[in-house]
Amino acid sequence: MTLSVFLQSLISGILIGGVYALIGIGLTIIFGVMRVINFAHGDIMMVGMYLTFYLFTLFHVDPFVSIVITIPLMFLFGAFLQKVFINRIIGTLPQNQILLTIGLGLIISNSAMLAFTSDYKILTTSYSSGSFKLGEISISQPLTASFIITVVITAILYWFLMKTDTGQAIRATAQDREAAQLMGINVSRMSMLAFGIGAAMAGTAGALISPTYYIFPQVGSAFTLKAFVITVLGGMGSIVGATLGGIIIGIVESVGAVAISSDWKDVLVFAIFLLVLLVKPSGLLGRSRM
Amino acid sequence: MNDISKKSAEGGFSTVGAVAALLVLAALYAFPSFVESPYALHMMILLFLSTIMGESWNIIGGYTGQYSVGHAAYFGAGAYGTLILLQKWEIAPWKGVWAGIAAALVLSLVIGSICFRLRGPYFVLASIAVAEIVRLTVLNTPSVTNGAEGILLSDLPPFKIGETVITDFVSKVPFYYIGLTLALLTILATWGVQNSKLGYFFQAIREDQDAAHSLGINLSLYKNIALALSAMMTSLAGAFYAIYIKFIDPTTVLPLDLSVQIVLIAIIGGIGTIFGPVIGSLVLVPLSEALRSNLIAQGLINSGLVKEDSGLGVFLKEHLAHAHVLIYGILVVVVILFMPDGVIGFVRKMSARKR
Amino acid sequence: MAILEINHVSKFFGGLAANSDVSFAIEEGLIMGLIGPNGAGKTTLFNCITGYYPPSRGEVLFKGRRMNGLQPDRVCKLGMARTWQKVRPLAKMSVLDNVMVGALCRTNSLKTARAVAMEQLQVVRLDHKAGFLAGGLPIGERKKLEVARVLATKPVLLLLDEVMGGLNPAESDEIIRLILDIKRHGITQMVIEHDMKAIMRISDRIVVINSGEKLAEGSPEEIVTNPDVVAAYLGQE
Repeated sequence: MTLSVFLQSLISGILIGGVYALIGIGLTIIFGVMRVINFAHGDIMMVGMYLTFYLFTLFHVDPFVSIVITIPLMFLFGAFLQKVFINRIIGTLPQNQILLTIGLGLIISNSAMLAFTSDYKILTTSYSSGSFKLGEISISQPLTASFIITVVITAILYWFLMKTDTGQAIRATAQDREAAQLMGINVSRMSMLAFGIGAAMAGTAGALISPTYYIFPQVGSAFTLKAFVITVLGGMGSIVGATLGGIIIGIVESVGAVAISSDWKDVLVFAIFLLVLLVKPSGLLGRSRM
Repeated sequence: MNDISKKSAEGGFSTVGAVAALLVLAALYAFPSFVESPYALHMMILLFLSTIMGESWNIIGGYTGQYSVGHAAYFGAGAYGTLILLQKWEIAPWKGVWAGIAAALVLSLVIGSICFRLRGPYFVLASIAVAEIVRLTVLNTPSVTNGAEGILLSDLPPFKIGETVITDFVSKVPFYYIGLTLALLTILATWGVQNSKLGYFFQAIREDQDAAHSLGINLSLYKNIALALSAMMTSLAGAFYAIYIKFIDPTTVLPLDLSVQIVLIAIIGGIGTIFGPVIGSLVLVPLSEALRSNLIAQGLINSGLVKEDSGLGVFLKEHLAHAHVLIYGILVVVVILFMPDGVIGFVRKMSARKR
Repeated sequence: MAILEINHVSKFFGGLAANSDVSFAIEEGLIMGLIGPNGAGKTTLFNCITGYYPPSRGEVLFKGRRMNGLQPDRVCKLGMARTWQKVRPLAKMSVLDNVMVGALCRTNSLKTARAVAMEQLQVVRLDHKAGFLAGGLPIGERKKLEVARVLATKPVLLLLDEVMGGLNPAESDEIIRLILDIKRHGITQMVIEHDMKAIMRISDRIVVINSGEKLAEGSPEEIVTNPDVVAAYLGQE
């Protein structure tokens, strides 16, 4: 592997890692506030992909512009899921929570199959395969754009959680649900907000990768698994951790595909996942204990 | 209301129960003599297969409380173990299946030693990760497994004792009997577990690991025993599936979806009960088959609810069959929200309320 | 002869010492009371003794055998059993099945285990609830179940962690009688309790722990007159 090949894969790893981070952040916020591991996360992302696809093909809205519509719609979708389903099982056995979200994921992906068939859809923009050169290294235009958007969204989210009253209430709920309730925070509203934000993040990630990925109803499960790896790696409940985890996984996949083979890159990712679970289950930046 | 009247129905067989069980058994063994429709036999075989899978998972998930969402790995081990030996070395499946079982056993010990150091949701995630590694490994070693192409069984050798041919496996009847016998064996095994020290220890671990530990139960030993039993039984289902369907590939015998379906069979019926997986199968198999074979779409049209030439009618006929997994999703959501102890728990609660 | 010796046991969590340099011994057949304010490190000490975590320093000797690093199930098999401050019934199993799990520590036969379990349920007067689900019992009966379950493991040393906590006076009295009953069977006991009157009544010796350290040790009479103990308790209240 020459240096330029390495740099090439490193850079595309970081770029795609940004989108992974967005997926991971969504999952980690949901887990942080509700202690629920959302197995429907990838399927929610898939909904974002279809939304973007149809906004583009029917109304010619550019995928990167369409997130202005995608974000609020996905937020409402997430809040709806939380209000109607997830809210009922908070505090019950973790296994039941997992099964419920698995069930929701199956319903979402199979409904998508009913509505859109299982055909692969491709969203082709003028810049889908565009790239610019940096010496010997070529950098994908859509991935760069999505990375920049990711950074902006993450920054806004971070500001929201750190500086606004609602953000602080969400963080307080994540830290200690009961104490937050005693302090007069409307915990169930915070949960709804958190799930909404989580879904919006997943949906945005879906929108951002739709110009570069196949769109089909089952695309979600692979991303659900990736989201787990990312959040566990970074530490369940930690936003900075999820960001870091996303970029690490992006790099591992991208460099691993070149260094070993693209067939085995996912095995590598899962092996790292198991290693983290065994050696440091709280993740790189996590405090939450098992 | 708390009183446990289930003991007589499940633990020791009462006389009425024994007679009923014998009658059902006799009916099941006589079934192929009266019903010749291959489709009916096929449905029954699917029921047996589902029962075997559900009972197997029930040991580790239902009784021991360790929700493995990676059981496809053991199913695949049984299926691949049996078919690879048959295709490459012409080893008869009733011998090859032992290799499949052994593979599942080894796999379960490896997985157990990794995953049982984790609890709750982390265990679930680890079990998924390991199963995905198994699937990707099978996919990426085509020299042994044929990779994504899968293995197509061209010729199933007749089952002989000495020189006498017992069956040539041309009709579905021999598969019916194999499936029925295996299903009964797994039910019997579950009964045996429930009525032994193992059953008590497994359930104690499910209810409270720390308490179990303090009462002298070696947690990792008994969790590993439960997983090994469960894995070996699941591999049996995989081997049976492989010789019955005669085609396996990573997307049919190793996917995450299959792991989830295995869990749902037990959950829907009621975990930690002997007949939960049977009930779960009776609910799931007909429903998903009805969707798959377009019976439901046709039914809606025939009943006049939906016009055949209307947009909806055409749409349903074309697509509903592809979404048969939808029913799994709907059922699990309904069960978790409204009857967390499964159909059996729900019925029990209702009958207790009546009394 | 001392059945349990605790020699210079310390337990650190991060940089904080939950126990530091605690030493004492329990004579066979007696009841040792363990008292101290909330957060003094009593339950931590129980956990160190019964194998839930290894002591950071020091050693625990049970019947002369070094216990450090043994898992809780081994500890139980060797004859040292504990109850939990926050009761841990096996909720979806019957009361009888709960106790049978304990009994199966010593036998492989369900029949023997069932007999032992019924016997222990009679000892704690819970036999009339044998068929009920453990999760449905009121707190007083849960505490009794907890005791019956550990008794079924046939311990020679029993560690009781606040078995009277949350009980009304009548229920507490019943537990006191039970503890004295257990003593008559020759089982050594170490008892954590907040109720001073109760602990003075049942204990042969008492160890006082404060901020993770041993403050005093002696007979109940010596403890109530010990100025350090009085200061610690009065200063607290």
